[in-house]
Amino acid sequence: MPKRGRFSFPVLVGISVLILALGVISLLSGALGKSLLGDIGLPGWLSVPQPHPELPAEVVFHLLGFPITNSIITAWLSIIILVGIFYAATRRVKLVPTRLQIMLESALGWLLNFCQSVAGEENGRRFFPVVATIFLFVIANAWLSLLPGFGSILITNAEGETVHLLRGANTDINLPLALALISFIFVEYWGIRSLGGRRYLRKFVNVGQFFRSMGQLVRGRLRAGLSGMFTGVINIFVGMLEALSELVRIISFTFRLFGNMTAGEILLLIVAFLVPWVLVLPFYGLELLVGFVQALIFSGLTLVFATIAVTHHEAETA
Amino acid sequence: MSRWVAALRLVGVGFFVGGSILLGVVAGLWLDNKLNSAPIWVIVGLFLGLVIAFYGVYRMILPFMGNKRDKENS
Repeated sequence: MPKRGRFSFPVLVGISVLILALGVISLLSGALGKSLLGDIGLPGWLSVPQPHPELPAEVVFHLLGFPITNSIITAWLSIIILVGIFYAATRRVKLVPTRLQIMLESALGWLLNFCQSVAGEENGRRFFPVVATIFLFVIANAWLSLLPGFGSILITNAEGETVHLLRGANTDINLPLALALISFIFVEYWGIRSLGGRRYLRKFVNVGQFFRSMGQLVRGRLRAGLSGMFTGVINIFVGMLEALSELVRIISFTFRLFGNMTAGEILLLIVAFLVPWVLVLPFYGLELLVGFVQALIFSGLTLVFATIAVTHHEAETA
Repeated sequence: MSRWVAALRLVGVGFFVGGSILLGVVAGLWLDNKLNSAPIWVIVGLFLGLVIAFYGVYRMILPFMGNKRDKENS
């Protein structure tokens, strides 16, 4: 048996036996094992109390009459962590980079590459700051709430209630909504900036054909006027649909992020209640993946919508 | 169209359908509550949401349909 990696064979066997034993203990001490086999007298600290997931965020304290919830605190925390990491990495930028600098440079390089492959060379550079910020913020929020002990810090607030100090910021619907609004505003801004206000609005208010054929009707060309009128009405209707579908994007952005993150949080709570020890780990891996994918989808869809907004309406459908 | 754009556009489709129907129904419920006219506006809103959903999905998959036609011709 050749040595694999750093561990020799007996050590590997030992680790596997330990993990297996922990798995069996976890199965026995959790709620699942208790309901299947009955209580077999394991010590109480092995099991996890039944979780009570709450949908609205809890108010921790008031700042100038403004309620500060635990999800706001977590959002601040992830902002601080992001700023700290980037400050530490770029404080002394060297030609021969440190490990942290290499990591951040390759991550940002990958993001820039992603932007440019979707939106093109020039537009990709233009959209990059917003898209990368959304990506990093969402992924920091998602991964921060996976840290062990994250949701188990309890404090007492001014009203005397016991509340969680921290809670995944993405699981409060206000934060996804705020991000969706930011993404919406930036998409509209880019669209207006690169097409001009009138040309951009023509996508939504498309009345040119209608009035032209009305003029034809007045001048007595009945046949051409009526058929043009019909197309004009359809154009107006399609413009309304465009405007409404722009609004629907905000809702679908919001609920996609909120739904996925809240479902993941509740899944982890329930699994930790059923089988407390080793068997939760695959689900943590799953949530790492979900956090990454959701951050990618949120920023990527912003990028795609921005790309659509800055291209000509006719050029895109043709 | 790059692979990324194609993947991201298709990712958006599912939640777009849900979102547009939700928007229509919620707006309808709100109007009905306001005007005491249940269930007229809910039905109108639902219908409108469905139309937006169909139109949006059509617009999102239009580029892919074009690609397919090109391939068949060549």
